[in-house]
This record gives sequence, structure tokens and C-alpha cells, in this order.
Amino acid sequence: MSTVTNERLFIPQTLREALDLLAEDSAITPIAGGTWLMRAPLRGEPLPGRCLAIGAIDELAGVQIEEATVTIGAGVSHAALARAVDGVPDLRGLGQAAMKSANPAIREVATVGGNLATGGFPAADLVPALLAMDAEVIVAHRDREERVPMTRFLEREPRVPPGSLLTGVRVARRRQSSGHARLTMRTAGDYAVAIVSLCLGLQEGGTITEARVAVGSVEPTPRRWTELEQALAGSRADAATAAQAADSLVAGFNGRDGVEAPGWYRTRVLPTLVRRAFEAALPRTA
Amino acid sequence: MPLEINVNGEARAVQGDPMTPLLTVLREEMHLTGAKLSCGEGFCGACTVLLDGTPAMSCLMPVGLVGERAVLTIEGLAPAGSELVPVQKAMLDNDAVQCGMCFPGMVLTLSALLQQNDSPSEDMIREALVGNICRCTGYERIVAAALEASRATVADAQEVSR
Amino acid sequence: MTAPVIGSDLPRRDAEDKLRGRTRYAMDSGRPGMLHAALRRADQPAARIRRLDVTAARRMPGVRAVVTAADAPGRYGIAVADHPLFAIDTIRYNGEPVAAVAAETLEQARAAADAILLELEPLPANLTMAESLASGAREIHPDWRDYQELVAGGSRGGNVAWEATVIRGDTDAAFARDDVTVVESEFVAGRQNQAPLEPRACVATYEDGRFVIETSTQVPWAVRNATANLLGVNVADVRVTAPAVGGGFGLKFEMALEPFAALLARASGRPVKLVNRREEEMLTALCRENADIRIRSAVSRDGEIVAREATVLMDCGAYGGEQPFLTTMTAHTLGANYRLGAVRLVSRAVYTNTAPTGAFRACNGAYNTFALERHTDEICAAIGMDPVEFRRRNVVGDGSMGATGQIFEGDVLGPMLERMETLRAGAAGGLPAGDRRLFGRATVVGTWFVFVGPSAATVNINPDGSVTLVTAGVEIGSGSMMQALPQIVSHSLGVPPESVVVRAADTDSAGFDIGVGGGRTTVSLGAASTAACDDARRKLLEVAADLLETAPEDLVLEDGHVGIVGVPDQRISIAQVAAHAQLVTGPISGSGSFTGRGTGSLPGCAAGHMIEALDIPIFTVHECDVAVDADTGHVQILAYRVVQDVGRAINPRAIHGQIQGGVAQGLGYALHEEVTIGADGCIRQRGLETYRLPLAQDVVPVQAELFEGAPSIGPLGAKGAGEIPILNVAAAVACAVANATGKRVRQIPLTPPRVLGLITGMEPQPNLSHVGSSWRDNVLDDPDELLARSPVHDTATPS
Repeated sequence: MSTVTNERLFIPQTLREALDLLAEDSAITPIAGGTWLMRAPLRGEPLPGRCLAIGAIDELAGVQIEEATVTIGAGVSHAALARAVDGVPDLRGLGQAAMKSANPAIREVATVGGNLATGGFPAADLVPALLAMDAEVIVAHRDREERVPMTRFLEREPRVPPGSLLTGVRVARRRQSSGHARLTMRTAGDYAVAIVSLCLGLQEGGTITEARVAVGSVEPTPRRWTELEQALAGSRADAATAAQAADSLVAGFNGRDGVEAPGWYRTRVLPTLVRRAFEAALPRTA
Repeated sequence: MPLEINVNGEARAVQGDPMTPLLTVLREEMHLTGAKLSCGEGFCGACTVLLDGTPAMSCLMPVGLVGERAVLTIEGLAPAGSELVPVQKAMLDNDAVQCGMCFPGMVLTLSALLQQNDSPSEDMIREALVGNICRCTGYERIVAAALEASRATVADAQEVSR
Repeated sequence: MTAPVIGSDLPRRDAEDKLRGRTRYAMDSGRPGMLHAALRRADQPAARIRRLDVTAARRMPGVRAVVTAADAPGRYGIAVADHPLFAIDTIRYNGEPVAAVAAETLEQARAAADAILLELEPLPANLTMAESLASGAREIHPDWRDYQELVAGGSRGGNVAWEATVIRGDTDAAFARDDVTVVESEFVAGRQNQAPLEPRACVATYEDGRFVIETSTQVPWAVRNATANLLGVNVADVRVTAPAVGGGFGLKFEMALEPFAALLARASGRPVKLVNRREEEMLTALCRENADIRIRSAVSRDGEIVAREATVLMDCGAYGGEQPFLTTMTAHTLGANYRLGAVRLVSRAVYTNTAPTGAFRACNGAYNTFALERHTDEICAAIGMDPVEFRRRNVVGDGSMGATGQIFEGDVLGPMLERMETLRAGAAGGLPAGDRRLFGRATVVGTWFVFVGPSAATVNINPDGSVTLVTAGVEIGSGSMMQALPQIVSHSLGVPPESVVVRAADTDSAGFDIGVGGGRTTVSLGAASTAACDDARRKLLEVAADLLETAPEDLVLEDGHVGIVGVPDQRISIAQVAAHAQLVTGPISGSGSFTGRGTGSLPGCAAGHMIEALDIPIFTVHECDVAVDADTGHVQILAYRVVQDVGRAINPRAIHGQIQGGVAQGLGYALHEEVTIGADGCIRQRGLETYRLPLAQDVVPVQAELFEGAPSIGPLGAKGAGEIPILNVAAAVACAVANATGKRVRQIPLTPPRVLGLITGMEPQPNLSHVGSSWRDNVLDDPDELLARSPVHDTATPS
């Protein structure tokens, strides 16, 4: 039985109920932490007439770390995600993304689902992190469940079709090193103007077998940096070398001009972010 | 049906729209004006309250999503007639306060931090304050007060354990 | 005998309530039956109003009053009355109010404001000073000649709202000398938003035919006067009170929302609350203005500055506001610090179709000091002299002549530079091994002043021995009203500071005051309070002399008692004297006042200046160490040191707090806080997401030393300490970044993209083609006439 607080906010307890509500009411908007949606008036947009809160749905609440996969519920906050993946070696980059975005109070409420579903927010941290992880987004419809690879998910408009609900993401576990580097204008506290998130498959001896590199905030939509991935595969995992490779390939990006930074700057700092992401992925213990 | 939320240990009925920001309800309906509306977009922290002990920006929190969580505002942290909590006391002793607008949020954010970790490093304190803007003080005395309060907390705990 | 109260770290009496969230700011205020108001603002920068129709808005649910320009006929200003409350016929900036609505709820008020019909016919907009000064540019105020001049003396014309000039000596001859090096530099500074956490807010009522306004302001009397003028009512019919103010920094140094709320209160018969949203604060704050600066100097081989010319363009936005007054400060900041031979300065406030600018802590001093100190370092590079050595040789000292011919008293900056050397000892001179970043350090000097001007105070000696201090001073956060003032009264009357009750500002109870700002609270209100205490003390001692059967001259006030000099056990409490006085002479009170003394300048030297010489100059030396990341352009402050001239420190701990806070704001100005204006004339940073204020991780603990002993006419030798800490910060950071990168830093803020652009050569140099290279190209009047009016004064050699 869903708690209907009045005609504006519905708080279903189960996924089933949520999907029924979404199917019956095309004007209802899912809300998780609310940190994006509640700012609609500041963007000159109206608040949605009716909202469906996903916070009480158990199926969307947890992080399951299993042998072969990790499943993250859409309702998991950045802070909860960072705590859950702390110490999981292959997910280090995802943890770094989750624990540095925005500010601490926002991280406690802003969710994985909100970060992924918000097409108008190019500076999301989890999006490039999950792109680099080659994650699949799970979208539930009343009658079926879709598994959408991140790249395809980001191309969809809207990312989550009416009547469906983003319930979580699934990441296949690999032997990999991952790292996330974000550049803010202050030390922290603002949205990153450029993000590089990467996952590296490594051979004994430090040769890269596979590289997946994602770039966020530079263009309107985060994307994989396939040219750099190809350049890195087969080379030694070395931050400086990778930065050099990145430097010769930045021309492929068309940085977006924004109030917070000009487009040229976002692309110009990419090699540095590649270096930092490598360093974050391969911390020198010695 | 009206909503009910728990504010400073008391069940309070809330009239009206559940999408109303918690901050508006606290200030306009309950006359708890310690939390301030300053930026309205989650970047300044003047509206910080604790939800089950965790700092939250009440300007972006629809009151309908508060649910069962306990809301603690600055007025409830050290209720009338009770002593200041250690971080408040340390701010008083350090002459940290200037215009005062950020302090309700600062105090709550730092009390939550000290609840979680009774001896945070200076870096951890600064990191915890990333969402709390102070326009007057340049932060140093706030950070110093938090360090002092953490030592006070530790000292208190040692006192008790003895 | 208790410890001396002057020089002690008296705690703040308002701190506990602020920590408990109990303090009620104007934005927290509420009244029974209170309405909420909203403004309708124009969304174009320049337009003719074709139609403004509020009929539909009046019929909206909950609406109780709608007012427009028809209800507020007056114009206001500080030097020139050019600013109507609502746009009349013409829109001059994006965000200009055209109507105000009061309704039962805020949502209803906003909905009705949105429902007002506003049809605009766009006009060509001048969004930059270059556009406004271009030949054939549209005049933003075609009727400028008809405006009432509230202050005489400035030249005005076209889009130049005000022009002030300084002419002392023959710069032409000096520049023509063949034994000098000529150094020319150009600088551009951006706007800075004060962004106090409490937005501008007020509650107005209309009672017994008078307007009563509770407001978040630094200037209760100015609000009273401006509101009355705009509404066309008697000044006496406006009463302004100010509770604790949640930060001002100059934003609240002018009237703001009060007349709107007052009009709506009268129209509705109900209390009306009006609070700006953050977005409105971002779009319409009276920012520190952006400025374009050109300086050129002729310097001898051994570093003597034989001539200096400079032009400073200050963007006042659509209306003059504070800027005509602030043109004055170029002479005392950019024209300061160093002994100069001949000097010619032009300082112009220029109208543009952008939001009006205003006062922000140290005002144009902050960018003039940036420009002057960077220029000074460029001089040092050109003549091959160490920058600290150059400063040591050239800073003003006892008997030096300032730009306007003022003679400075005392050697202050020189010894302060020495003090800085001591403070620096032990600081790391570089980065740790392995750090790839670039290290830079710079030492800069600065000159600011106390904005003296009129203040009044009354003290009442109560029969319980307590003292009530009544002034129009406002506690804006600096603590002056909570610490320095009670300390001064306590010292004067020999009562403990806890016994001094400080009355919150109310124009019905306190005499005129020019406002809290310009570092003047401790000095001007302090001096007025001292005078009031002297008056009360005289009366108190007369009554006590009767009681103690001795002469008033033999009496002293201390520890809350009146005692006889040399007879320690014969004393009576002030309470007893006050109670007795009530029966025999009536209650004891004292009144006092203060204003500037009007220090002399060289006659005819300065034109259009509202302050020709500084009554209380203040000096400061800043130094900072930076690390610049050449890959991203990020500047990290490694260390920051300050030696500040305070005259005499009334409350040293409070001053240190002001220095730390002022430096942090300065770091925001130097590095993070950027205001840019879009093609629609609208400020692009609409909130604190994009307007980046420094956070706890962006500042460092400032090492500060208070320099005491410089001459001051302030009470007990005090100087204002709250404003100057921001003065040198952009200068120190910019010079340090220039030293780290080896690049000519000409523009602030030094955001990462700007610094990276500088390092890589991708940052375009500022284009100042609209500022002529010669001083002559930048004046409204005939330069030869100006020269003819200036004093004949041979200053080929700096004095």
C-alpha cells in the first residue's frame, strides 16, 4: 500500500506499485534525493505537478557486491555507494567518484538513479565512472526489464522512457584498476569542469591489456574516449605516457563553453586529468 | 491527510504541500528560524539540519520525503536552558562568530562530524565544511573551534571512562 | 583596580544567541497580518516601456496592493539624483524593477508579479564601458543635464556620470626627460558580489501616518532620507530600525528594498515583508565595480618616481550610486603608497546598461592597489631593482606629500615593511622537492583610510549604575558594536563593559549617522561615544562632588565608582550618584558628536573629489606565497602574512578576526569570484553554484601583526581595522602569480582558465583601446584649461 501524502507526492513501498503508478499516470515524475528536481524553479522550470518518491522501495535501496557482478540500486546515495564499495579493489574509481562530488550533505541524498537519469546535467560524476566500468543500466517497465549499456543509455532521449523506472545499475566485476579524476575550480565544492574516469586491465609486469576511459563534463554528454583507449592498449601503464598520448588526441573533443569554464579549458586539462586518473588508479605504495 | 514529522524530538503536523522544502516548513510554519534560506540551491549550507544525525540541506528536501527520520535543528541541539554543546562553546571561546548567519549550519555540520569521529584531523574538518559557506570569518576560528571541541569531546569521554 | 579594558579581548555579547540560532535578522522577521512582496523586473538591458499594465495582477488571488513608478515620483543618488525607484519609461538594466506586488503569500505575490503585462521596445544596449565611451554611443541618460546635483564639483557628460581629476606638477616635462624609464601598464578588474549570507530584506508598516521600516542595512539614516525623497514625504515621517545584520560588506550601504515595502505597506494598510531571492541578489547586487586602468610612470635610474599619470574607468552600471563618490578614492589609493613627483589622475564613473554597482569593502582601493602594485613590480623589472628594495626607498613617510598635496605624518609604511621581514623569517622559500608547481612570492603595500564623517551618540547613566549607549550604529557582524564601543564607553566611564547596554539602531532615538562602513564604527561612533561620555562624566562628577564634599577635579571614575584621588577608601558607586542625581538634577545623560576635521590638501589640485585629503590614512603590508599548477592554472595560497596599521588596538582578537575574514574575501576576489555579463546584459552567475565563494579548503591561516603607534585622530588613537584587510589581497596574489609564472598579470580574478591562458599564451591581453594613453585623452574638459586651474607647483623631485 503506497503512502499517498496527497495528490502531489506518492511514496510507493514496492517496485510493483511504483510501476503501476507510472503506467497509469504519464505526468508523474520520479524523485529520489530531490537535489536536482527541487532546483527546477532556479532553472526557470516548474516543479513537477506530481512526484513519485523511490526512497521507500527496498528493491532500489542496496548495493549487492557478488562474485561476478555488483548491483547498485537507483536509490543509493553517493555517500552510501562510497561506503559500500570502500575497499573493493576493482571499484576504486567508482568510490572516488561517489565520495568527491558536490558537497557532503548533497552526497548523502543525491542518488545513483538521479545522477544517471538527469540528462541536463553534464557534470555528473557517476556517469563517466559507470561508463568506464562498462555498466548496464537497469530500467524496469511494468511488463519487462531492460538492460541498457551505458553508452546507449546516454544516447536515449529521454534516458528513462515514460512509464518506466530506472531501478539500478549492474557492473560486471573484472580484474582491473580504476581511477577517477575530477577538476573543480576551487579545491572542492563545485561541479567538476572536466572529469576523466578510467578502468585498466593489466598484465603482470604492467602492460595494459584493455583500457576504458570516459570523459565527463567536457561535452554536453559524457562519452568514452575510444581513441585514447586504443592508444593505451598494449602500452605500459604509466601516468606520464598516458598523459602524452592524451595530449595528442584532445582535438577530438569539442568542449562546451559554460559560465564555470570555457570550452578550450575543459579539453586542455584532459591530459592532466588522464595522468591524475592513472595515479588514482595505480597508487604508488612505495 | 496531514503529514507528520519529528522535529527536535516532537511529532509535528505539517499542513499543505508535501513538495514544500523542509526549510520553508521549519521557518514559516514552526517559526524555527535558525536555519536560513540563503542560496536555495544546496551550495551554502545555511539551511543545514540533521536528519537522523546526518547533515542535510533543508532547502532542497521536500518535507514529504522526511518520513520517519528525526529532524534536528539548531534550536533543538542545545535546547533552551541547556548548556552549549562543545563545538558551540569552543566557537564562543574562540571569538569565532561574526554576522552569525552561517553558524547554525556550521554548528550542526560539525556536531555531526564529531558524533561520527571524535578526533577528526584538520583536513577532515575542512572537508566536512565544503558545503558550508562563511562569508565573514575566513573559517580559521571555526576550524580551530572544531579541533578544540574534538579535544573537549575526547577529554569528556575520558573523564566519563575514569 | 581591574585590568584595562582597552586592548583586551572582550568577548561578543551576541555570540551565544547567534550560535543557538536565536538571533532574528530582518529576513526572519514576522508580524501578525504580514503580507509578502515580490518585484517585477525587466528582462532586457535597454528598452523603452511600451506598456505596463497591472490590471490582471491586481485581480490575482491574495493580491492586496500593486505599486509602480506612478507611486514613487522622486529620484535619488549620492552625488547625482539619477535613479528612480521604478523604471520610468526607460529600462536601463536587466533586472530593473518596474512594479511591486504585495499578497497574502509569497507564491501569490510572485505569481501576480509574473502576470503584470510589460511590453518593451529594445534599444541598443551599451554593455561595456568601451561601448558607452565609443563615439556616437547612445546616451544612457539623455536627460543627464537636468538631474539634480547633490554634490557639486565633478565634471559630467554623455555616459560619464562623474569625473574627478588630480593635477599636481608637470608630468609632460617629466616624461620628456631623457634620463627616465617610462613604464606603462594596463589592467582590468572584474566585479565582485558582496554576497552576504543574509540577502537584502525588510519589513515595513505604515503607522500613524509614518513609515516604520525594519531592515537589513548598514545605513539607517540614508535609508530614511532616500525613502522619504523617493516617496515624496517628510523625512521625519520615516523611521528606520536595524536588527542584527547578516553581513553587509558594503552591499547594504545604500537604500535597497525599503521604499518598495513602504509603498506597499501604505497601499495595503498591512505590514509588508520583502526579501530578495539569491538570484535577485546575484543579478542586482551593488557589486564592487569592474574597472579598466591605465598607468604610466617615469622613473629615474635609482628608482625615483618623477611622474605618474593614470586613468581609471569605473563601471557604475545604469545609475551612478556610490561611484561618483568613489572616484575620489583613486587619488588616495592608486595615487598613494609612494612618493611621487608630478602626478595627473583621472577617475571616471561610466554609465553602462548593466546592474548598478556600489560599495564593497575597500571599494576601488582593492583594484587600484592591484593595479598600482603590479605596475610597481613592472617598474622594478624595467629598471632592474628588487621590488622590496624599491618599496623601502619610495613608500611615503613623515612629511611626504600625497597625490593631492596632503602632507603625511609619521613614518609608518617603512617600519611596517621591516616588521614584515621579521614575520617572514622562517617561512619556506620554495616548494618541497618533487612538487611540479611554480612558486611565487610577493610583498605589497597599501593605503586606505577611515571614512570619518558625522556620528552622534547619547549615553544615559541609569540609577542602577548601568549605562545605555544610543547610536544609529548597526551590528553587521564585525563586532564593533558588541566589542569596541562598549569597551570605549567602559573605559571612559569606569564601568565594567557588561554594564554598557548598546541600543540597536533606530532613527527615532539616535542622532544622525552616516552609516556603518568604511572602517568608521570604532573611530566615528567611538569618538562620538567618547564625547557623550565626557559630557555625562562631567555631570556625574558634579553631583558626586556634592555628595563627597570635594571638587569635581579631585574625582576619578573607576570600577563603577566615583573615588577621590589619593583617598582610596572614600568612594561611592556610580549607581548611588545616578540615583541621587535623579532626585536633585534629573537623570544624567550625555551627548556627543564627531565628524572629520578636514585635513588640508594643496588647493586646486583635486577636482570633483568629495574627500581631498585623508583625515586618518591607514597603511598595510601584505605578503603571500603561492604555488601555481602550470597544467591547470590553479593557484594555491601556501602562506599569507599581514602587518596592519591599527593606530591602537581596542580589541586585538576582534581585529585579527577581521584580518582573517578580509583576506579570505580578498582571496575570493583575486582567484575565484567572477562576474560576467551575457549578451542580454544579464549577469551570468545566478547563484552560489557558479559564483564561487572561498570555502574552508581554499583559505589559509593568516599570520598577522598589528602595528600600533601611528598617529590617528580616532578615539584613544584607534583606526578602523575592518575594511582594510581586503585591500591588498588581489595585489599580493597577482604579483605572486606573476613572479611564479614570469607572465604579466593584468587581469583579475585569476581563475584557473585565466592563469592557464596566461601561461600558454591563450589568454588575450586586455584591450584598453578606449582608454587613451595620455591623460589628456581621457578628460571631458579642455586639458589645458584644467592645467591652468591647477596649482603651480614644482614637484620634479618627490618630497
